[in-house]
Amino acid sequence: VSGQAARRVDVRGPLELTVQLAADGARHDRASAAALVDRLPTVGGDAVQRFEVVVEGWRFEVSVEDVRHAELRERAARAARDHAPAGAARLHAQIPGRVTKVWVEAGQAVEAGERLLAVEAMKMENELRAPHAGRVEAVHVEPGQTVERNDPLVSLA
Amino acid sequence: VSLHKDSAVGVAAARAPFRRVLIANRGEIALRIIRACHAVGSEAVAVYSDADATARHVRAADAAVNIGPAPATQSYLRVDAIVDAARQSGADAVHPGYGFLSEQPALAEACTAAGIVFVGPSPATLAGLGDKLAARRTAAAIGVPTVPGLFEPLDLASEGWEGRLQAGAINIGFPLLVKAAAGGGGRGMRRVDAADDLAAGATSASREAAASFGDGSVYLERLVEDARHVEVQLLGDRSGSIVALGERDCSVQRRHQKLVEEAPAPGLSAAQRAELHELAIRIAGAVGLTNAATAEFLLAPTGEFWFLEVNARLQVEHGVTELVTGLDIVAEQLWIAAGRTLSPAVREAAAEATRPTRHAIEVRVSAEDPARQFAPTPGRITRWAEPAGEGIRVDSGVQAGSVVSPHYDPLLAKLLAVGPDRATALTRLQAAVKAFEAGGVQTTLPFHRWLLDQDDFRAARGLSTELVDRTWQPAPIVQEAALVAADLALKASLEPTPLPPASEPSAAAWWRAGIDAELEHRL
Repeated sequence: VSGQAARRVDVRGPLELTVQLAADGARHDRASAAALVDRLPTVGGDAVQRFEVVVEGWRFEVSVEDVRHAELRERAARAARDHAPAGAARLHAQIPGRVTKVWVEAGQAVEAGERLLAVEAMKMENELRAPHAGRVEAVHVEPGQTVERNDPLVSLA
Repeated sequence: VSLHKDSAVGVAAARAPFRRVLIANRGEIALRIIRACHAVGSEAVAVYSDADATARHVRAADAAVNIGPAPATQSYLRVDAIVDAARQSGADAVHPGYGFLSEQPALAEACTAAGIVFVGPSPATLAGLGDKLAARRTAAAIGVPTVPGLFEPLDLASEGWEGRLQAGAINIGFPLLVKAAAGGGGRGMRRVDAADDLAAGATSASREAAASFGDGSVYLERLVEDARHVEVQLLGDRSGSIVALGERDCSVQRRHQKLVEEAPAPGLSAAQRAELHELAIRIAGAVGLTNAATAEFLLAPTGEFWFLEVNARLQVEHGVTELVTGLDIVAEQLWIAAGRTLSPAVREAAAEATRPTRHAIEVRVSAEDPARQFAPTPGRITRWAEPAGEGIRVDSGVQAGSVVSPHYDPLLAKLLAVGPDRATALTRLQAAVKAFEAGGVQTTLPFHRWLLDQDDFRAARGLSTELVDRTWQPAPIVQEAALVAADLALKASLEPTPLPPASEPSAAAWWRAGIDAELEHRL
């Protein structure tokens, strides 16, 4: 890899993929002249560079980091997760909207993937499902309520 | 084609139809109406919710009134707030645009009661057309071919509903559609292919209709397969004259939401156009239409037109008809509302409506992800550059820095192209779609790039409301784009001097994790 470490390139958007590329390995022949590339602010240090790339109308957020750095970061995250209490989670609203349905109540046991509640945003109804099996500790909203981004919805234990 | 009556409604030439027009809407259509107000010499008053305080339509208007919090039910859908705003700002007319309260008799009535002119049909016409089954009965009664089916609503809480449903279905045949008697937009609608599935389909459609419109009654309609969606632009004045300004083909849809519209409808003969326009005028005459409306039909592969419904308001896609006829339909609406008879320009355009000499195509640029079933993509627009050029028109409501709110329709802009023929319009539109720059949120532009490149669409072959569901396969296209994006980001990351941050992080991540489990799946 001609002296430079490989890069982990993480693509998020209408399609999501992670690829490992040699630092000098970009296949520029494939790159479209019509693409737009904007640098995005980095999150917590400069090790991960972030870009918005629009290719023929498809919009991606792409982060690029040294593979060695990515591996260290992942190891640290795994260690932190192993020490956290298992299974506790508080689910937040990812977009503003209106709660249309609540299917669970506090104290109820739920399976992974079970429907918890529905939020309507931009005329679309979106269902929130349990990320893992557990017990509903609290439901923080009720049907008809308007929620803003990051408002707590359901706590799972 | 037109329905002429002797005009008794002569109005002395005025400098402007109204002194001040309040626009009860937002986004691109509010800006479009403001432009028409200024063109006829009227002042424009905007209304806005808390979320829209800095929106483009607010700044473009001569005055603006706050009407409440972001949710539309607490702002743009409040009749009292709209009428108060009109009174407070001294407006003598209200233009409702499309959507929101545009087809609600309640707003038209409240305006009239307050001594303010409502720019649209009368409350009675709105009420008659808003009831879809009543509109079907009206059309059938005057001999306009109406999609075979039931003409009375069926209440699933009533005794023996299942028997009546099965009896109705036998006469109609399968496949058929169960449709909500109230509402529209594809909600409360189910396709049923066999008698065994009928009760379940009706129950499910009824439940959705009850949740969406507060009325769970349904009816049945034959499913006309491989049909095109064709609609006729109508204008009528208070003397009773009604004209057709030509038709539009809006077959490129998904889940009953239009994506692309064009005028005229490709491939129709002048005789077919004359027949279609006459049917539309006949319905409009039967309901006493004044101002602007659109009569929607299905065009079966066998060449028959079947009446669907009348939208008694300005339509999103009115612009393609304007480009073909050279008219300003919104300005004509204002003059008609002020009591004028149809203008000579309108009559001339109507006289030529069966022999159009131009062709226009529009694509809707929305904050939606075409790779994920067109799911909405709210967020902040970080980059926005509209194309320009010969025959190109852009009606937009946003700019760089605008926030696309999850509270409202995700339509950002309409990109239109016109030319002497369809091929020229297509070439111009294709170049303009490629030149359109949008960043910060995913838009429908990549879908349009694909569509305009398809041989079938370019040749107007196989147009049908099923076209998108049958042929749009985004996976390989978006995968290639993602790989290019990875390459470009890698290349940019190696450049020595980073550019200053272009923008704050936008909200693509909103659609990840949590709420959108349904929409969140990797291709």
